[in-house]
Amino acid sequence: MRRNVFLKAGLAAAALVLVSGCATGIKHEQMASGMPSLKAGEGRIYFFRSSSMVGAAVQPEIRLNGQVVGTSKPGGFFYLDRPAGNYVAAASTETEKSVSFTLQPGETKYIRSSVSFGLVVGRVVLEPETPEKAKAELGTLSYTGAPIAAR
Amino acid sequence: MVGARSGAAGALVSLLLAGCASPVQVAPASLVPLSAPAADFVVDADVPIRLSTGYTRTLPAQSHWRAVGSLPQGLVYQPVNTVFAVEGRQVHEAYLVLQGKALQGFYLPGEGNFSPLAPPLTLPTTQGGKR
Repeated sequence: MRRNVFLKAGLAAAALVLVSGCATGIKHEQMASGMPSLKAGEGRIYFFRSSSMVGAAVQPEIRLNGQVVGTSKPGGFFYLDRPAGNYVAAASTETEKSVSFTLQPGETKYIRSSVSFGLVVGRVVLEPETPEKAKAELGTLSYTGAPIAAR
Repeated sequence: MVGARSGAAGALVSLLLAGCASPVQVAPASLVPLSAPAADFVVDADVPIRLSTGYTRTLPAQSHWRAVGSLPQGLVYQPVNTVFAVEGRQVHEAYLVLQGKALQGFYLPGEGNFSPLAPPLTLPTTQGGKR
């Protein structure tokens, strides 16, 4: 009897952590038509993370060329428009994992973040993803970036 | 008891190794624009590539690659319909560097570096049109 109470309490706590840990913003499919078009000489970088309960509590900041630009949240995405050039994106947990890539004018790059297991906590791995796979997931993901000014 | 201890030690070592992957070996490289048109190519079948870091990356079947320049190690090909990256301690977007059909290594465009593949690997490819 007592064991059941503990089990239920544990499950409820776990559910609370999971729910509070997931991204809850506007969906990509709801905002896609209102996104600004790219300026000349710039490209767009999407950062996204699938909805997954695995490692949901691991939500490190993402830095681009050393500057914090957002957070890796399960079920979330954000995007940045940046001048064409070379970039290093990084996420730090117990260790830092980074991805280097080049951005060309007019190009859209998709960077997936995912959790792998580490010694103490999970670590977040960043890697380029194909547009096809990224677009297939983006529709259901929630925007976690900076507020977008009304246009 | 001893078996349990050695199993736990083995698991710990595995975890430590996973957390301390070796870095991708690189050398500075300057990409030279193509002096003459070079043919694209398509990979005929999945090609797993075992990297010196211990990670394996696969060139997908039907992936299309376009020549974008050259290095002393060979012609540099950028993916057209896929993305490709090599991984060690960090992840690096990568283009292929080939001499003929032999993959010599990778050009890392985000850093301007070359990373060798040892030994070179012959790719099953079909040549496309020249650009």
